[in-house]
Amino acid sequence: MMKISRQERMGLGLVAPSFFFLLVFFIIPAILLFVCSFWMAQAFRLIPAFTFDNYARALSNTGFYFLTWNALKNGLCTAVLTVVLSFPAAYFIVYRTRGNLLFYLILVSWFSSYLVRIYAWRVILGSNGLINTTLMQLGLIDQPLEMLLFSPFATIVTLTHIMLPFGLLLLVSALRDVKKEYVEAARDLGASQTEVLTRVILPMCYKGVVGAFMFTFVISAGDFVTPQLLGGRDGMTTGILIANQFRTAGNWPFGAAMAFLLLAAFLVVYLGFVRLLDLLRLAPGRRFHD
Amino acid sequence: MSTPNIVELYGVTKAFGALTVLHDIDLGIREGEILTLLGPSGCGKTTLMRIIAGFEATTHGRVTIKGSDVSYLPPDKRPVNMVFQRYALFPHLDVFDNVAFGLRLKKWPKERVREAVQHMLHLVQLDDYGSRWIHELSGGQAQRVALARALVNAPSVLLLDEPLAALDLKIRHHMLAELKRIHQETGTTFIYVTHDQDEATILSDRIVLMNKGCIEQIGTPEEMYAHPGSLFCARFLGETNILSGAVSATDSEATFVNVGPGTAKVPANGTAVLLGQSVSLAIRPEALQVARIGAGEAAPEGVNALEGVVDDVVFMGSRVVYSIRTPIETIKYQETRSLDGSMLARGERVRASWRPEAAVLLTR
Repeated sequence: MMKISRQERMGLGLVAPSFFFLLVFFIIPAILLFVCSFWMAQAFRLIPAFTFDNYARALSNTGFYFLTWNALKNGLCTAVLTVVLSFPAAYFIVYRTRGNLLFYLILVSWFSSYLVRIYAWRVILGSNGLINTTLMQLGLIDQPLEMLLFSPFATIVTLTHIMLPFGLLLLVSALRDVKKEYVEAARDLGASQTEVLTRVILPMCYKGVVGAFMFTFVISAGDFVTPQLLGGRDGMTTGILIANQFRTAGNWPFGAAMAFLLLAAFLVVYLGFVRLLDLLRLAPGRRFHD
Repeated sequence: MSTPNIVELYGVTKAFGALTVLHDIDLGIREGEILTLLGPSGCGKTTLMRIIAGFEATTHGRVTIKGSDVSYLPPDKRPVNMVFQRYALFPHLDVFDNVAFGLRLKKWPKERVREAVQHMLHLVQLDDYGSRWIHELSGGQAQRVALARALVNAPSVLLLDEPLAALDLKIRHHMLAELKRIHQETGTTFIYVTHDQDEATILSDRIVLMNKGCIEQIGTPEEMYAHPGSLFCARFLGETNILSGAVSATDSEATFVNVGPGTAKVPANGTAVLLGQSVSLAIRPEALQVARIGAGEAAPEGVNALEGVVDDVVFMGSRVVYSIRTPIETIKYQETRSLDGSMLARGERVRASWRPEAAVLLTR
């Protein structure tokens, strides 16, 4: 019999609960869903089969491309905005403040529910909302701006608001690893503040930047509640379409196929983002000499 | 003719809020020397170095390098480079790219960068390590890379912030010799911060001893050891015996101090003392002569001598250190192990004496 050392046993013991959880609630359902994406549905009943019809149907539908483009656009805009907005805040918190007060204040926005925040933005962006009435009273506009609410703009603003604390949390913990002495060493060697950022800080917190970007991207591109409540007719996304297949149309195989196509699109974005950072020389582990 | 100063500090004062950590420091650093800022933790030595590097601004005072005022220049605009205590080598770059970092910022052409980096890696004896990652280096190797990364920029002054503190004792002694060699080969001025008096005495041309934000004494290691200017200096550099007493007589030749039951004579060294003033005598353990007192032998009137009992014997290979309990103080006596191997034993009665010029009179 194979001997397992005490240390290995302890390691297995620590990993087992989360592995078991993921197995039961993620891996097995994902496999079942993947299998299901090759089945057929007739009159709300699933018929086992092996057909690519569901994929073909999605890929031959211009609406699917349009909605997927919307989803990716929401995701990309939200992810870029979140990283761009939370990076300076994270930088300030890590290098310019001693305590964590500011950090906790920003995290407090987590305490309100997701739906409450969506409805709050409806109030702010609506025709009689804060922004429109202010602009009208200042005499800058005559009519309320209808495009504020029920547009991709509203979706992206709200999603960014929801995602910002996540991005901040990831970037703060990544920046904490870039000790001040690395920044000082770079300054000492003649780097300006911008050069310190691009040549030392960003490559050293690469994992945090990629993590914050992908985390916000995947959640916002896949979200279907915010676009449904705030996106309007033009703001529909694949998420809504997929949810409809499971909830109302009862076509699980078609929904599953679209879900996996969306997953593939996410992977392409991930690879693209990583490649972009590499091209911008912001990735670590690169040699600049031969 | 004295060597010109490459760095000059005029009245440098630094306060963090209500806490003043440096008080009105004036200091000139000579071109090409190894100058050590030595002192206990919290004495301000690291802050002083960070002011020269540009990481801290002075509250009052000016810093000049090569005659030009750099007080308001940021660190990237100053002609100095620093070796950090924990090296701060960039983990996302390999050894070559770490060393090339400063040159690439200066937009040197590729070929010149390669030549300069290879020359530096050769100087620190890491010729074939260019492609290693930082986490693959030992402490001593990382130290060498940090040196190369700073020196490749040909700084006017190299600042070293306790560079050996993270290394174990054996490597530390080896690295001290290496630092001396590299200093000789490059001729760069070194400013070296340490709390370790051994490192300071082995390495330095001059030592600046600091205490509570002030300069206590400046001198060569030999001067500091032989002529400490204060109790603090006498205690900080090497082992020393401190005997306190009151001045009983003084003239232009010598001062006499009541030490316990006897009297000690010290040649006058220009220190003004008053009758009855309490002063201290510093006597190095190796400057004592110790002899056994035979049974029944009458103790003579003590001049420059104390009688006592051997309390402890520590054998340290080539030398032996004794603790001798006298009526006023337990003193240390150190001797080279004699060839016949004879040593004093615990409990033996001895007389410790010293020549007048072996004692240093201290008033503070």
